[in-house]
Amino acid sequence: MTGAIVDLSEGNAPGETSVDVCVIGSGSGGATAAWELARAGRDVLVLEEGGDFRGGALTMRDGMYDQLYMERGGRSTVDMAISVMQGRVLGGGGVINACDVVPIPDGVLRCWQKKYGLSEMSPEAISPFSRRALEDLSANTPRPDQINVNNALLRAGAEALGWRGEVMLHNRQACQGLGKCLVGCPVEAKRNPRMVAIPAALEAGARFFTRARAVRIDGATAEQKTVHVRTLDARGYHETGELTVRARTVVLAANAVASAQLLLRSGIGNEHVGRHLILQPQLPVTALFDREVRSFHGIPQAYAVTEFERLDDEEHGFWGFRVEAVGGTPGIVASVLPRLGAEGKTLMRGYPHFAASLLLVPDTGNGRVTVDGRGRARIEYSMPDEQKQRYRDAVKAAARLYLAAGATRVMVPTARPVVITTEAELSAVDALGFEPATAPFISAHQQGTVRFATSPAGGGADPSGQVYGTRGVYVLDSSGFPTSASSHTMTPIITIARYLAQRLAA
Amino acid sequence: MRLSRRRILHVSLGAVTLVVGGGAGGLLALRGCAPHVDGLLCLSDQEYRTLGAVATALFPEGGAFPIGAAQLDLARVFDGFLADEDDDRRGDLKKALLLLEYGPVVYERRGVTFSHLSAEDRVAHFERWQTSDDLTRRQVALALRRFLSVVFYDRPEVWPHIGYALLPVPA
Repeated sequence: MTGAIVDLSEGNAPGETSVDVCVIGSGSGGATAAWELARAGRDVLVLEEGGDFRGGALTMRDGMYDQLYMERGGRSTVDMAISVMQGRVLGGGGVINACDVVPIPDGVLRCWQKKYGLSEMSPEAISPFSRRALEDLSANTPRPDQINVNNALLRAGAEALGWRGEVMLHNRQACQGLGKCLVGCPVEAKRNPRMVAIPAALEAGARFFTRARAVRIDGATAEQKTVHVRTLDARGYHETGELTVRARTVVLAANAVASAQLLLRSGIGNEHVGRHLILQPQLPVTALFDREVRSFHGIPQAYAVTEFERLDDEEHGFWGFRVEAVGGTPGIVASVLPRLGAEGKTLMRGYPHFAASLLLVPDTGNGRVTVDGRGRARIEYSMPDEQKQRYRDAVKAAARLYLAAGATRVMVPTARPVVITTEAELSAVDALGFEPATAPFISAHQQGTVRFATSPAGGGADPSGQVYGTRGVYVLDSSGFPTSASSHTMTPIITIARYLAQRLAA
Repeated sequence: MRLSRRRILHVSLGAVTLVVGGGAGGLLALRGCAPHVDGLLCLSDQEYRTLGAVATALFPEGGAFPIGAAQLDLARVFDGFLADEDDDRRGDLKKALLLLEYGPVVYERRGVTFSHLSAEDRVAHFERWQTSDDLTRRQVALALRRFLSVVFYDRPEVWPHIGYALLPVPA
C-alpha cells in the first residue's frame, strides 16, 4: 500500500481518524520514525503544521522565511536575545538547513553514558545507525571547486595561523551552487528527509497531513490516545477547522520547542518537560576584504575551524566553540552592519566584499520552554558568564582568522559595534557584555527539553524515548538529547530516531 | 520575575503616560494629524507615518545609491505582514510604534515626536535606542531594523546597486 500527502488546507480533513501511530512533526525525527514504523507494518499518520514546498515553489527570496520557518521566521526568546529558527515545512529543518552532516561524536555518547546513565547508547550500539544516517543523507565531501571564496578565506586564515579546520560533510548531490540553502533548494539537491525518508515512508504506506497543527493530546496513559488537531489555511496563518486522531502510539518529533510545548499544553509529563533547553546560539561576524567574496553564491557553509572545539569533554561531551563560514542574504547582512541610514547604504555597496561566519558555542540546558495562557510557546534563556566568555574568545578567534586572511576590517555586529582592523584592537572585544537584544544571536539546534534519563528524577523521558508518566507517548527528536549531540543536529536526530523507532517497532 | 515582550511593552506604555503627564489631548497635539492613507489593512494613519519615518531614516533616498524606502512603501509591506499576525502580536507591534513615536518626548524630554524629527535626528534617535540601557527600546529597534532591512534588500530593484543577484535556476 502506498501512502499519501494530504494538504488539509484544501478542506478535506476527515474529521476523525484512527491509526496505529500518530507522528507529530515530519522532519528528521518524524520522517525517519514514520519510515521505520510503516516499514514494520504499522498504520502511520504524520501531522505537519507547514506546507509542502518543493522545486520552483522555493523562490530563493527572504520572503520564504514566512512560509518555511515557525512564527514566520520571527520566533525568539521572550527577551528577544536569540532568534530561534525552527522549520515549519514538510521535511522539517532538513529542508532549510545548511546541509552540514556531523554525526554524534563518540565522546558525546560516552558523556551520555557516564553522566546520564544512558548505558545502552554506547558508541558501538549507535555506530551502525550513524552509518545508516550517512547513507540516507548520501553524505559526501564538497569538491574543491565547490568551496567558495567565503569558505576559502576562513580556511586560508586557519592555515596561516596553523589552526585545525575541516571541510564538512554535506548531503548535497548535483548542487548548482545557488547559495540559498537556508530558504530551500529549488533544484532539490539536498538529500534531506523530504527527498529520502518521506518518499520511503510513503512507499511503506505512511500518510502525511500538511497544514495540520496538533494542539493537545488526551489519554496519555490510556490504550488509545486522542490527538486534537487544527487545520490551517493555505498560508498557514489561521486555523480553519478541527480533526481528531486516535492512536495507540503517539510519537513527538516536532523539535525541542514544539514537542515540549505540546506536552505542556496537554498537561503531560513531569517537571523536567520544557526544562534543560539547549539553544546552541550562534553569533555572526562579518569581515570586509578588498577582493570580491560574493558569499551569497556557492555552498554557504562548507568549512569549519575546529581548533577550539572539544568532542570528548567529560562534563558536556561537545564543548568549546567552532567558527563556520556562512552566506547571508543582503537583508540579513544589512540588519547587522554597524551603520544605519546613508552610511549603512554606503556599507551595503560593498556587500560582495563581505565575508561572514557564525561562531557556534555549545551550551548547557540554560533555557526553558513554557506555554502562555493561549498555549503558545514561551522560550526563556539566560546566558551564564562562562558562555559569554567563550563568545568573546570566539570573536577574537574569528577576527584573527579574517585578519590573517587579509581582511581590512572585522565587524562584530553588536548594538555598539566593534570594528577591528589589527590584532592590537582585539582587546575591544573584552567589553562585550552580550546583554539581551544587543547581539544578533541565532539558534538553529534546539535540544534537551524532554531529556532521556534512567529515572523520572533525571529527565522527561526514559531511554526508550517514552515520556515518563505516559503509556505509549514517545519523543524521538532532539528533545531527548541530554547534552548537545553535535555541532549540527540533523544527522544525530536521524540516527537516534531510527535507533529508537526500531526498538519501538520490535 | 523575567519580563516577556508583552509585559515590557505594557510597562513601558504605562511609563509613557506617566512621564508625559499632559493627558491624551496634549499627546495628540504634539503628534499632530497624519495624512490619511487609503487601503491600510491594520495600521492607523499615525502608525503608518511613524513606520514610514523609521524606514526612510534607515534607507533614505540618494547617497550611495538612489533608491530608498519611500519608493518601495515599506510601511505598507509591514501593514500587510501585520494583517496575518494574531491579535496579540499585532497589538505588540502597534504599541512598539506608539512608543517609538513618543520616544523623543518620553526619554529625551523633547517637544517633538519621532516622525517630526529631521532625517538625521531620526537616525541618531534610533541608534540611541539600539544601544539603550533599557531592554524595551533595544527590542523595538532590533525588531524594526531586522524587518525593514530584510524587506528593503529583498526587493530586486535594490539588488543591482549592491552587486547582488540570484543565480538562474537550471531548467
